[in-house]
Amino acid sequence: MLFPTIEFGIFFLIVFAVSWAVRGAPELRKFVLLGASYFFYGWWDWRFLGLLFLSTLINYLAGLAIAHTEREGLRKLIVGIAVTAGLSILGFFKYYGFFLTSLATLLETAGLERDLPFMQVILPVGISFFTFQGISYVVDVYRGHATAEKSLLNVMLYISFFPQLVAGPIVRAADFLPQLHRAPVLTRAHIGVGVVLILSGLAKKMVIANYLATELVDPVFFDPTAVSALDLLIGIYGYAVQIYCDFSGYSDIAIGVAALLGYRFLENFDQPYRASSLQDFWRRWHISLSTWLRDYLYVPLGGNRYGEAKTYRNLFLTMFLGGIWHGAAWTFVFWGTFHGAMLAVERYARKKLDEFAPSHSDPGGVMTAIGNGAQHVVGIVWTFHLVCFAWIFFRADSFSTAGSYLVGFGRWSEPSQYVTPFAVGLILLAMFFQFTPRNLGRWLAQLIQWLPSPVLGLLLGGGIWLIWTIAPEGVAPFIYFQF
Amino acid sequence: MLDLLHHEREGDEYGEEVESLHEAETRRSVMRMSIALVVASVLLLAFNSQSLVTWVNGFEVGPVQDAVVSLAARWNGEMEEQGLDAPAKTVRGEVNEARNMDWSEVQRWLENEQARSREGARLLRGMLSEERG
Repeated sequence: MLFPTIEFGIFFLIVFAVSWAVRGAPELRKFVLLGASYFFYGWWDWRFLGLLFLSTLINYLAGLAIAHTEREGLRKLIVGIAVTAGLSILGFFKYYGFFLTSLATLLETAGLERDLPFMQVILPVGISFFTFQGISYVVDVYRGHATAEKSLLNVMLYISFFPQLVAGPIVRAADFLPQLHRAPVLTRAHIGVGVVLILSGLAKKMVIANYLATELVDPVFFDPTAVSALDLLIGIYGYAVQIYCDFSGYSDIAIGVAALLGYRFLENFDQPYRASSLQDFWRRWHISLSTWLRDYLYVPLGGNRYGEAKTYRNLFLTMFLGGIWHGAAWTFVFWGTFHGAMLAVERYARKKLDEFAPSHSDPGGVMTAIGNGAQHVVGIVWTFHLVCFAWIFFRADSFSTAGSYLVGFGRWSEPSQYVTPFAVGLILLAMFFQFTPRNLGRWLAQLIQWLPSPVLGLLLGGGIWLIWTIAPEGVAPFIYFQF
Repeated sequence: MLDLLHHEREGDEYGEEVESLHEAETRRSVMRMSIALVVASVLLLAFNSQSLVTWVNGFEVGPVQDAVVSLAARWNGEMEEQGLDAPAKTVRGEVNEARNMDWSEVQRWLENEQARSREGARLLRGMLSEERG
């Protein structure tokens, strides 16, 4: 069930009505939301409901066992077993085919061809997200950031809550579980935030992402050898905007829907293309994943506590694993590795620059301000192009396609086929909103929350109608569903 | 934007009085949002009835489904008779025009806009000088 469909609209109306009607009985309300979440997931493929439950049960039991164990070694062992179990399930469904294909190629290259046990493994939608949420629960309980839940219902709802189940944001146990212990609350602020995020998410996904995909990005990536350099350049800018609007659009709707049901998720995107460095970019892009990787991988690996060399290694490893989390393909590995390597280079360069010219050696003056401003602008342009370069490998189905794409940048004399004013307009529109004040959404939400109900209804209905009317026919799946 | 929600929860420690305020606020907000959702649904049913037909046409064949399909088609026919599909047709027409625009048309449009603004400025100057005269 995709968010921008009539099915989901009807589903949400029922869930909203029933869940608030039973708010006086909090446990019943959780059952309603859990039932709705399992129904939502079963709509994709009911066969994986058992897997979702199994993954939840492992984490629930591990949480209880950790809470009842005082010996540090045993607690660590339980965390290790739960994390290994979660990652094994993820590994089997997501990487089994990739591993065997890579092994077969390796053996073939070495002249040692073997019959390997290939099989068709269907990837359960959202498995990367609910596995990471399960790990977050067990580790948070181990670290004392979350209390072990006695109620299986709470853990099931935390892991399967439908707005975030299939494509995030990755919600932390320490953020969400306490909300299940309070009486559900819906305020004007929830309504303002919910309506603004749902409308902005729908507009991003249905209009900007879908048009850019069908009219520019898909044809350009289908055969990069058949188009001009200008098509390729605007095509990758288009993909940068498409993936942002697609994924942040999904996150916006998820956060908005959760807000209307009385729950708060953390923000997942913060105008990422205004970042002036890669480090800044990763503080703004898919925030729930980057902070997850920081807290559950980079920090346990040692972070920046054990000298420069180990810091670079940890950065590199974290981004490498972040890359492979996105998909079982070498192009994703390259994408993650590239980001990891460039983050390490950036850190080294900044350190050397600070040694050469400490930032506070020159008291503020006009020239310093101009210099800092120029440096900031150059940083934004440079970072955006680095990110775009990496997106080529993320979007391409193989290294050969990515190679053709890069080679194509030499064909400047050929006329462009896909760079239309409409596509360029959509890219510019999306980029414009990267540089608007951060509080724009907040101001809009504050304005909307005071509207009388019928006017609010007209705004919501009119907004959805306009988006639906402008958008191309049909609904393309969200890019991050494949992860 | 989500700090709006964060601030809402800060009163949690203040006890029963705040809880009862939250309950009253929740009751009002649920009513507000319910009315808004009903208005939005009616508006979409009236102005977007074609999507309803497209959606139900995807149903499997069966007596109930057939009844729903025929009901949706009748509803859409009624809405079209009332002219409620006209705004969607106009907007789609405009969007298609924008999609099919090429760079020479954009250039022509920009030139026309510049000419119009020059003409506007000329007229304004003319009016001002007449007033002064």
